Amino acid sequence: MKAEAEAMRGDTGAPQDTTTSVLEPLRSGPGAYLPGRRRAVVAVAVVALLAAAPLVLSPYPVSAMTRMLAFAVLVIGVDLLTGVTGLPSLGQAAYFGVGAYTAVLVGVHITPDAMVQALAGLVMGLVAAAVTGWVAVRARGIVFLMLTLAIGESVHQVADTWSAVGGSNGLAGMPPISLFGGPSLLAAGFVYWWVLAVAALVFAAVALVVSSPYGRTLRGIRDNEARMRALGYRPALARYGVFCLAGAVAGVGGALWAQQARFVSPGDMGFEVAALALLSVVIGGAGSLWGPCLGAALVLFVRDSLSASIGGHGPLVLGAVFIAVVFLMPRGLAGLTGTRARLRNLTSARRRKENAS
Amino acid sequence: MTEPLVTPLLELRGLTRSYGSLTAVDDVDLAIARGERHALIGPNGAGKSTLFATVAGTLRASGGHVLLSGQDVTSLPEADRARRGMVRTYQHSSLFLDCSVLDNVALAVQRVHRVAHRFDRAARRFRHTEAEARRHLDSAGLSGRARDKVAALSHGERRQLEVAMVLATEPALVMFDEPTAGMSAAETERFVALMERLPEQLTVLIVEHDLDVVFRLADRVTVLHLGKVLASGPPEAIRADEAVQRAYLGSARAEDLFADSGGPR
Repeated sequence: MKAEAEAMRGDTGAPQDTTTSVLEPLRSGPGAYLPGRRRAVVAVAVVALLAAAPLVLSPYPVSAMTRMLAFAVLVIGVDLLTGVTGLPSLGQAAYFGVGAYTAVLVGVHITPDAMVQALAGLVMGLVAAAVTGWVAVRARGIVFLMLTLAIGESVHQVADTWSAVGGSNGLAGMPPISLFGGPSLLAAGFVYWWVLAVAALVFAAVALVVSSPYGRTLRGIRDNEARMRALGYRPALARYGVFCLAGAVAGVGGALWAQQARFVSPGDMGFEVAALALLSVVIGGAGSLWGPCLGAALVLFVRDSLSASIGGHGPLVLGAVFIAVVFLMPRGLAGLTGTRARLRNLTSARRRKENAS
Repeated sequence: MTEPLVTPLLELRGLTRSYGSLTAVDDVDLAIARGERHALIGPNGAGKSTLFATVAGTLRASGGHVLLSGQDVTSLPEADRARRGMVRTYQHSSLFLDCSVLDNVALAVQRVHRVAHRFDRAARRFRHTEAEARRHLDSAGLSGRARDKVAALSHGERRQLEVAMVLATEPALVMFDEPTAGMSAAETERFVALMERLPEQLTVLIVEHDLDVVFRLADRVTVLHLGKVLASGPPEAIRADEAVQRAYLGSARAEDLFADSGGPR
């Protein structure tokens, strides 16, 4: 049977292509997503719009948006775990922190090159997740949540007490980043563009994973793990893989976060960060990628910008938003766009049922 | 009965499964030849589902052996048995509800094509896998619903999807656990037609309550009672077997048991 499968895989000639193209119109039927080309146009437009921000905004909001983008990268990783694979995690802030500390240490001791720092953050986030995740992925549901919480708290505790990384004072004195050996990027706008570029790249990469066969495997695990085993899958391996991937994404996010702040402290990787990341996913709509990014922006806006002007009651607002979303928009912000298509889907399904009976 | 000349595709030797002091499956011997349509029947509580799950590997055997083409698979987990070509369906449809109909079948196909962990390209670019999945949907009569979510399918359609999914794993042995349970008469008819179209070399083990379905599909029937094999043989012999009739009804009245309008539920 192996040989058969092998032979069939090799045989991907023209006939298959025509089969698929003949069936192409099915995609635009009920329940279809945005067609590929339109989606690409929307993505380019959004990135272009975001890229224009430093041209019209003053430095303060630009650095606030930089932080939102870095945080959104963390949230994309959390969404990959929680929304796509069905593993709600409270430990991703640990890998975010590992990435941030790595970037600062590299910045202080080795090079101001932003690319090297981000890559180092990615690798260290991946390694940290690979080391700690092996235990976590054996559990599911609430036990998984508690294990990731324990991992997050432990790593936070290490950062808080270990003098080599500054203990509770954190690490300061990171020089401004540069790119391709050029001058230091001091202006908020330049840092913003760099962070935007990396965030867009991460978004695209994770979107590719979600649409790939592996993404399908992850959704299968989310929906029905027992059935996956009955189909011959070994889900533990796939879960471990996605945990490492999410750790790497969080590491990049942490590096970007540190590059903007040029400082890192244990507070950047605490429980609050992990909880806000999970909250962003819920508000944005678990499983969609752009929804949680919007959620990330909203959450950070309320915490950092709005909170000051309403007497520090930001958490209260976030709580209210959370409750409102859970009751009014169970699919989060992302659920708002699909509503019409879903309604159409529902009515057509009902009609079909009536016809059948 | 003559001894089989070739190695049976599936062989159970003294298979036993107990829950504490209760022995649900008790020393069952069974041999199923390649290409056979074998039905497993028995009154409620006979141990059909437990036997089924133990053969599939969902449950561990307490004793005895399961052999696939002569190879002992007793200690293999369910996933490894599935990779060797023995797959099961579930009594209550067990599907991926939030995924599209196509995704459900494609999950099976991409495992067989060994691309299930590739993430370098979008799934639809694995054209061969996609085409194969669509072919399976076509033959199950679901091609029009490829993009719909499974949650939007009717009960009968979900059963059809189950069949498409197990066939997509390119199995040697398919085990159906009460596939027509809860189906309307029309849905059952469509399902039986689908079963009759299954490839001939495929071996089928089916647990079924509806005896009309059993006697239409099966080459051989095994009756389980209180965890033990009560009788095993061709359908006509089983129909005539007095012990079977007693086990089902407590009294021997064949015309009640095998009336045309479905069996006991």
